Amino acid sequence: MTDSSAPIWIDPIDSQFPEKPGREAVTNSFLSHQVTWDETTRFTPKMYPVGRLRYYYKWPGHGGRLWSRLRYWPTRRRVLNIHGDYNLKTMRREKTIVDKRPIWWALALAALFTMPLFVPEGFRNTVMSAASVFAIYAAINLCWMLIVGTAGIFSLATYAVVGAAAYGATYLAIMLGLPWWVLPFAGTLIGLVFGVMIALPAMRLDGFYYALLTLGVVELCRVFVVQSRQLGSATGGLYGAPSYLPDGLSQSNRLLFSYYASVLLMIFALFIYRFIDGKRLGRLLRMAQEKKEGFAQACGVDFIRARIMVFLASSAALGFIGGFYAIHFGGASPNLFSFDTLLLSLAMLVIGGIGRAEGAVLGTLIVVFIDRVLIDLGPLRYVLIGTIMLSVALFLRGGLFGIKDQFRTWRDKKKSERRATRAEKGGEMLPEEATEMEDKDQVYFRRFDKMQRDFLKRLVSDAVIAEHQSRPLGQHSEALERLLIYFRRQGQIDKYAILVLEEFKAYRIVALSGHRGTAPRVVEDRNYETPDQAYHALFLRRVQDLLET
Amino acid sequence: MNWGFIITNAITLACIYGTLAIGISVTWSSLGLINMAYGFIFALSGYGAWLASVYIAPNPAVVMVAGILTGAAGGLIVCLLAFIPIHDKPNFQLRALIATLAISLVGNQILLWWFGPRAKSLPRLFGNWNADIFGIVVTSDKLGASLSAIVLLTMILLWMRSSRRGLEIRAMMMNPHAASIVGIGVRRTGIYVMALTGSLAGLASVLLAQTYYVAPFSGITPMIKGLSIALVGGLGSIPGAIIGAIMLGVNEALTSSLLGGQYVLITQFLLIIIVLLIRPRGISGILDKAREA
Repeated sequence: MTDSSAPIWIDPIDSQFPEKPGREAVTNSFLSHQVTWDETTRFTPKMYPVGRLRYYYKWPGHGGRLWSRLRYWPTRRRVLNIHGDYNLKTMRREKTIVDKRPIWWALALAALFTMPLFVPEGFRNTVMSAASVFAIYAAINLCWMLIVGTAGIFSLATYAVVGAAAYGATYLAIMLGLPWWVLPFAGTLIGLVFGVMIALPAMRLDGFYYALLTLGVVELCRVFVVQSRQLGSATGGLYGAPSYLPDGLSQSNRLLFSYYASVLLMIFALFIYRFIDGKRLGRLLRMAQEKKEGFAQACGVDFIRARIMVFLASSAALGFIGGFYAIHFGGASPNLFSFDTLLLSLAMLVIGGIGRAEGAVLGTLIVVFIDRVLIDLGPLRYVLIGTIMLSVALFLRGGLFGIKDQFRTWRDKKKSERRATRAEKGGEMLPEEATEMEDKDQVYFRRFDKMQRDFLKRLVSDAVIAEHQSRPLGQHSEALERLLIYFRRQGQIDKYAILVLEEFKAYRIVALSGHRGTAPRVVEDRNYETPDQAYHALFLRRVQDLLET
Repeated sequence: MNWGFIITNAITLACIYGTLAIGISVTWSSLGLINMAYGFIFALSGYGAWLASVYIAPNPAVVMVAGILTGAAGGLIVCLLAFIPIHDKPNFQLRALIATLAISLVGNQILLWWFGPRAKSLPRLFGNWNADIFGIVVTSDKLGASLSAIVLLTMILLWMRSSRRGLEIRAMMMNPHAASIVGIGVRRTGIYVMALTGSLAGLASVLLAQTYYVAPFSGITPMIKGLSIALVGGLGSIPGAIIGAIMLGVNEALTSSLLGGQYVLITQFLLIIIVLLIRPRGISGILDKAREA
C-alpha cells in the first residue's frame, strides 16, 4: 500500500479469511480531524503594531530619581506631571510625562520671543505688525474662551466690551489728558461696568437667546459709534490716545517694542485664563456642564453666581485689553464692532477648539496669518478662512486640538466593530441568540457540531460514495465510517428512514416525524427495488443535506 | 406729526421683517438650526433678482420670481452644507451655527469678489404712483410691498396648514424626534424647510431692495432685525413672530419720526431686552426649556 493520491483501503475483517484476497476499495487520503479545529481557532485578523499595547521602550526611570522633582517655589506644584510605572510587556521601570502641554507652551513662547530674529527683512513690517495684532487678538480670544468655554455663556459681545473700553479710554484720554498707563485701568473699569450691563440678561436667558441678544448689542454699538459725532463718525474712528512707545525710537524698534508689549499682554491673558479656569471657579463650572446644571445645583454648586463671576472677571480683563488696544493703535475704530470682526474671531475660537487656551492661541495664529500676511489673496483669504471654519465645524468635534480625542474615539469604535465580527465567526449561535439560550451546553454543542460538519464535508468524495454504493452495510474505510456514524447519531426529528412497501421488491425513503403517533412523511415519489439501492439513495440524501448546511 | 405716515411705515416694515422673522423662526423650530447664513441668502437672492432684471426683463413678476427662486436655491445650499452632514452628530446646534456663519463669511466674500462692492438697484417693482386710503397717502412701493408680503405669507401659511408637506413641517416643529419615529424624513423635511425659508428671504430681499439696495453685505442688518423679531416673538412661534414684527415695526416708525433715525436700534434693543427680561422665551414662547435635540 503506497501513500499515493488515491490510497487503497483493505477490509480488515477479511484478514480472518487469509485464503481469500481481501476486499479493496479506493478511499480518501487521511485527513486529521484536528485541521478544522486549527482553522477555526486560528487568529486570522491582520494586526498592525499600533494601539495601546506598550511593548516599546519609553523613557528609563530609576525609582529613586523619580522623586526628585522640579517644583514651583514655594508651592508643591510640579512643573511636569511625571508618572513612574512598570512596562507591562518588558517589566522594566519607566517614566511617562502625563501632561506634555507645559513643554509645548514653553517651546511656543520661546519661539514667540525669538521670532523677530528670524523674520526676513523684506516682510519685516508686515509680519511684525501682524504678530502684534495676533498677540492682542489672542489675549481677547483667551478672555472670550473663558466666557464661552469655562462659563458656558455663549456671548458674542466680547468685541463690544473691548470696543467700548477702547472708545471710552480714548475719549477720557482726549478729554482729561490722561497719561498712557492709566488707560488700561480706565478700560478695566469701563469693561466691568459694560460687563455688568450685559451680564444682567444672562441671568435670565440661556443659550442661543443670549447669543442672538449679544449679536444685537454688537450691532447696536456699531451703529451708535458710526453715527455719533463725538466718537468720530467723520474720521472713521476715535484717535488721539497717548502711545506707550518711548520717544525717539526708530521705526523697526517701535515695531519690536510694541510686539513685545503685545506678547506680554497675551501672557497676562494666559495667566488670567489659568487662574480662572484652573482654580476654584473653573472647577465649579466644570461640574455644572451643559444639561447637568440641575445636578450641580443639587450638590450645592451655585453655578449661576460662578458664571457671572467668570463673566465679570473676563469683562474686566477685556476692558484692560481694550485700554491697551487704545494705547497700542492710538485710538479705536468702528471696525471692532463689525460683523466681519466677530466672524473672524469666532473662526479663531472654533478652529482651535472651544474650551482650551491653546486652541484660542493657535486659531488666532492661523486666522491672523491668513488675514494679515497673505494680503495678496484679496477677498479670497476670507473665503479660505471661511472654508477652514466650515470644514472644522463639519468634520471636527473639538477643533484642531480635539483631533487626537476624536481619532482615538473613532479607532476604538473600529476596534470594537472588528472584535464583534471576530466573535461571531466561531460559533453557530449569534451572540444575541446565545445570551437568550438557557442551556449553555447548547451553545458549545452547536459550535462543536459546526466544526464537525465542516470537517465531514471535506471527507465527502467520489471514492467514498462509490465505496458506499458497492457495499452499504458492513465494514467501511475510515472516512466513510466517520460520515455514517455522524449520520446515525442525529436526532429522530426528520431523520431519514426506509419504508418497506413490499419485501425485496419495493422500498421507499421517508422522514420520521420524531413524535409518537405522527406518521412519517414521504420524501420522494420513487420506489427502490433492493434494500442496498435504498440504503445508498438515503446516504446520498444525507450527504446532500450535509453539504447544503 | 403725520400719524398716517407712521402707521403705513410701521405696517410695511412689520410685513417685511415679519417675513424674515418667520423664516428664521420656522428653521429654528423645525430643524434646530439657527440660520446665520440668512443674510447671505438675502444678498444672494437680491443679486439673482438683479441679474434677472438685467438679462431677462425688468418686469416686476420676473424679478420677484427670480429673487424667490434664488433664495430657495440659497436655502438649499445652506441645507446641503450645514444641515444634512451634521444634523445627527453631537453638539449639532453649536456646530450648525458656526457652519452657517462660515457659509455667510464665504458667500458674502464671493459675492464681493464676483460682483464688486458697488450696490446695484432693482427697478421699482410697483410703479410710481400714490393711493389715498381713508385720507392717508400711501406710496405704491409701500402698498405693493405690504400687499405682496401679506399675500405670499398667507399663501405659505395656508400651504403649511393644509398640505401634506406642511403637515410634515409642523410635525417637525412640534417634536422632531416623534416626527422621525412616525416616518417623516428629517433630511427631506430639512430640504423643504430650507427651500421655503430661503424663498421667504428672497421675497424680503426683493421687497426691501428699495431700502437696502443689492450689495454683498446688505443682508446683515435685515438678518439681525429678523433674528431679533424672532427672538422677541419667541423662537418657533409664527404668531409670536407676527406680533414681534408689528411691535418692532411700530417702534421703528415711531422712533425714526419722533427721535431720529440713529436711535432706532437703541430703542429697539432696549425694547427687546425689556421684553426678554419679562418673558425669557419671547412673547409667545411658552416652552420651559429651549428646544432640545
